[in-house]
Amino acid sequence: MKLDPIDYAVISQSLQAAAREMGVKLIRSAYSTILREARDGSAALLDRDGNVVAQAELIPMQLGPIGATIRPCLELHPADTLVEGDFFINNDPFAGGQHLQDVFIFTPIFFEGEVVGFSASVAHHLDVGGGSAGLTAEATDVIAEGLRIPPSCWNMDKDWNGGRLERLVAHNIRVPDQTIGDFNAQFAANAMGAARVRQLCEKYGAAAFKETMRELLDYSERRVRAAIARVPDGTYHGEALLDDDGIGDEAIPIRCRLTIAGESVAIDFDGSAPQVRRNINCPFSSTVSAALSAVKSVLTSPDIPFNEGLKRPISVTAPYGSIVNPKPPAPVRARMLSAYRAYDAVMMALSQAVPELVPALGFNTTTVTCLARMGEDGYAVHLEPMGGGYGGSRAVDGCDGVDNGLSNCANTPVEALDAGYDFFRIHSYELAVDSFGHGAHRGGAGFYRRYEILKDGATFSMYSDHFRHPAEGLAGGSAGVLGHARILRGDQVIELRSKSANPVRKGDIVEVLLGGGGGYGQPHLRDPRDIERDLADGLLRPATARRLYQRQEAAE
Amino acid sequence: MRVGVEVGGTFTDLVAFDGDRILITKVPSTPKSPDIGAHNAMRAAGLDFAAVEDLAHGSTVATNAVLERKGARLAFLVTAGFRDILQLQRHDRRQIYDLEYRKPVPVVARRDTFEVTERVLGDGSTAVEFDEARFRAEVLPRLVEGKYGAVAICLLNAYANPEHERRVAAIVEAALPGILVTCSHDVSRVFREFERASTTTLSAFVQPVIDRYLGGFEQRLAGDGFAGRFSVMQSNGGRLPAIAMRKSAITALFSGPAAGVVGAVRQSMRSGFADVITFDMGGTSTDVCLAEGGKAALANETEIDGLPIQTPVLDIVTVGGGGGSIVWVDDGGMLRVGPRSAGADPGPACYMRGGTEPTVTDAQLIVGAVRPEAFLGGRMSIDPELARQAFAPLAERFGLSIEGMAESAIKLVNANIVRAIQLVSTERGRDPRDYALLPFGGGGPLHAASIADQLGVRTIVVPPNPGVISAYGLIASDFTKYATLTSQMRLERGATEGVAVFRRLQDELTADFRAMGFSGPLDFTYTAEMRFVGQAFEISVDFDEAGLAAITAESLLKSFEEAHYRVFFHGLGANQKVEIVSFRVGASVPVAARQPLTMPADDETAEAVHDLYENGRWNSCRHLPAGRMVVGEAVQGPIILSGATATTYLPTGWTAERDPADNIVMRKG
Repeated sequence: MKLDPIDYAVISQSLQAAAREMGVKLIRSAYSTILREARDGSAALLDRDGNVVAQAELIPMQLGPIGATIRPCLELHPADTLVEGDFFINNDPFAGGQHLQDVFIFTPIFFEGEVVGFSASVAHHLDVGGGSAGLTAEATDVIAEGLRIPPSCWNMDKDWNGGRLERLVAHNIRVPDQTIGDFNAQFAANAMGAARVRQLCEKYGAAAFKETMRELLDYSERRVRAAIARVPDGTYHGEALLDDDGIGDEAIPIRCRLTIAGESVAIDFDGSAPQVRRNINCPFSSTVSAALSAVKSVLTSPDIPFNEGLKRPISVTAPYGSIVNPKPPAPVRARMLSAYRAYDAVMMALSQAVPELVPALGFNTTTVTCLARMGEDGYAVHLEPMGGGYGGSRAVDGCDGVDNGLSNCANTPVEALDAGYDFFRIHSYELAVDSFGHGAHRGGAGFYRRYEILKDGATFSMYSDHFRHPAEGLAGGSAGVLGHARILRGDQVIELRSKSANPVRKGDIVEVLLGGGGGYGQPHLRDPRDIERDLADGLLRPATARRLYQRQEAAE
Repeated sequence: MRVGVEVGGTFTDLVAFDGDRILITKVPSTPKSPDIGAHNAMRAAGLDFAAVEDLAHGSTVATNAVLERKGARLAFLVTAGFRDILQLQRHDRRQIYDLEYRKPVPVVARRDTFEVTERVLGDGSTAVEFDEARFRAEVLPRLVEGKYGAVAICLLNAYANPEHERRVAAIVEAALPGILVTCSHDVSRVFREFERASTTTLSAFVQPVIDRYLGGFEQRLAGDGFAGRFSVMQSNGGRLPAIAMRKSAITALFSGPAAGVVGAVRQSMRSGFADVITFDMGGTSTDVCLAEGGKAALANETEIDGLPIQTPVLDIVTVGGGGGSIVWVDDGGMLRVGPRSAGADPGPACYMRGGTEPTVTDAQLIVGAVRPEAFLGGRMSIDPELARQAFAPLAERFGLSIEGMAESAIKLVNANIVRAIQLVSTERGRDPRDYALLPFGGGGPLHAASIADQLGVRTIVVPPNPGVISAYGLIASDFTKYATLTSQMRLERGATEGVAVFRRLQDELTADFRAMGFSGPLDFTYTAEMRFVGQAFEISVDFDEAGLAAITAESLLKSFEEAHYRVFFHGLGANQKVEIVSFRVGASVPVAARQPLTMPADDETAEAVHDLYENGRWNSCRHLPAGRMVVGEAVQGPIILSGATATTYLPTGWTAERDPADNIVMRKG
């Protein structure tokens, strides 16, 4: 059919609005701090073949794999076999998923008896079982990391609201009230997306609606192809290092070869390290997300809808059995760490192709801390993901203390934690002085988050990176400072490994430093006014300004 | 005499009631000192200053002070360990793919932020005593040296126990006599430290500006013999005496759009329409708000320039679609309208001021809904040929006629407004078909019918003088103040404790109003912000005095679950624990003798028949000056009703009638 250009514009913008509404309501009706405060969730609308058409842009990392997780569900249960009330669920890292905590739920949207599309939501769940509450830092396989729900089809009436799946899940997780509440928020977001789609179909007809979905995919594809065509053809290389695998001390390289040919990009991670024994393996779907996010951020304007069409001109490959495409049952919980190095490697390759568009590397590490304690009323679990400083660019200083490029989690307010937990409180939360890489444009400052432990019997587990190898500068800029984690116990300072689980005691202060971003350009090119501003704000020490920027102090 | 003066970006509007006589004046604004424009408007209207009993004022002074960062030089005091509340913010980004992302810029720099050794907990207990000696030794000297214009204080959990904030404030006030000190617990008693800190600093930042501005304006007025009551509009839709506003500046932000909503709703109420959706379409954007029972919906939070403000405001959603919005095609070939606007200068192509990009106003001119000879009552000349030239390239690209392209552009901007209306209705659990549409502003009545068609709305109420509704809203609004308190309370413990909190807030407000010199009875509204235990965001449950008197835990639970289900699609009969998180009481003094707006007399433009492009073809269409409509006599669409401040378009299939309240009531079918 020939689509009226106005109907097309109106339906497509309504689809975007519906996806955004789903995302907002998912967060606002959620129960766990990880979803309601950190906002670690996303939502999307898909066509009946499982192509993502419109997404709520919340977390870049979760935007790629929605299509990849529905596909195996559709292979088992084609759209034509579905009935009202059915839903798909999938959290399997080896079937399109990310890590077990990200649970993807899909609801078919029926209009006049036919499936016209799917609404989808994904949320990071606080605890999905496994060896330890919230985070099993020492898991040696995916089985130890929690409940693995393979691509499968269930029905609301039979299986949820007290039904068999809900009971099965609730019996295998530690904080069922919050987690089941978050599942319900996902179902509700899906129901809302479905309602909005049905309204659109009623108004414009299912045919115009389906045609719009098809055209929207082509639209994103056209815009991305136009952007890629502007980049010089050629093959470029990038590499980034992970500190270690969580057991040994050896750095782990991730390498990519990026080829621009006309309107398409091919990214191959051949040459990256083999998969490792601990949880920093990156499922292939996560690797794809990381690579796509880098390409999208650097090359395209931000208003291009992130959908399956955007992916068409970009191919990603990685050797099976490598850290960026592991075989089951590799543990994958901390996959964000290796995903960031894949992102960094693509960024470094792109910096050769389009140097003016690529900033220095940011801290680019999702540091997750998990505080858990078994109390009289059961488990209390608090999980928070944190970023660091952004890299400086040709035009601006890096952003201070912010979540990094692949993620977009908010902090949990100190006052919300004070009201919700009795076994720890936030001791301090502040920017770190002298923590950024220097340059004509400095990196973003890192920050400290310190926890004061109020009761015995608690565990502090975490994963992080850039404790040994910093975020490098670019074009003559220097690296940001390293991160660290330590327990301050009386006069003792206990250094923690970046990937570890640690018992903590009443009175301990756990200090986590999220490092800074790399600087861009030669420091001597920095505008003296910017140096004075950082000195006045106390983010740069006078001695550092003297040493690195040759600043002469004014005689007083 | 009662006078409303609204200072906008381009024009300053005045509406005055002198007995039964209505005066309406529009003069250019004077952005550098807005009070001069306001004063000019009063002079242009020929007012006798001594005869003005009630002067209500709205301006963008507070808003501009923030946008231009021209407020007080602030020092900011925080709990030790949390110096960077304003810099760290919420650690997230608004544009997720922006590699050069920059956070919203707070109004206080890190260098002006100082730490206070103390720590209060969420239950109000003290974990670390306030170290007064240290504060006096280390911080106070820096406040004295710093030559600050104002001091803001936001300590952790001060909403639960303000004792430390009070002690710090007392020391600062004693050491720096006359300095303005703003405590977070006086501005917002709601949890989430960044949002409260942002609100507190914004309030302290604009307060001296508002104080100076209102002080200067009062002096100027007094010099002209004004001795009446001088009041100022707030973002919550009520006003406050100027003297009180000088101490509560945060509510002065965004007062203009709120005044418009109040004025429009007052006028629709006169025709018996209490459930309405207002939309105010101006040159660059459109503001949308939903009102029920004559009361506009409130939101608990808003933001300015990316910085959050925790204070009750009218729940107004703004979209970038106005008469000056530019119509363009993006690099993927999709037709778009706005958010870029041709503004007032150069303005739409047809304004003959050098604009060449097609705008919504150009489209309206091409299809014939706007007539060149009747534009703004014939006071401004415009050129249809320039509008057609501006649209020609787009028309060619899409293979449409120029008028077909123009009609498409209008449909698209209407779709943007439809989405804004869905945001305040459908997304808040309301069905827009249960409401009448209430358009105003220069462009509202022109677009209303097509928007109503999209939403399935069958009734539209167009107030008289839709271009000066904000100025009318100033004098038509009540005196209003809100008090909010976060105090978590499980519902299973019964409702008694909660009622006591409401009564306490009510007493505080009563005392405030008595102190402002109001001795008469007050109207109260009560809102419980509730959620399922474990959630972080609340749903408002409202009741009136009778509702509060009859309240039980069971009735509250039921109201909450229904409200939650309407918005979130789940939670009905959930059998889960529920808590009240915060309490809000609103107090208002109703304004006596509200006078209605009336239709201006016939503006001398001739009645005519012209061509109008509608639904893909040219038809002939009557043009009638709105002032010539006869009360009670219906007219049939298509018809264009022109007026001095706005044009109303009645398409085929709609009828309209001027009712006894002088509203034009449009009905479908």
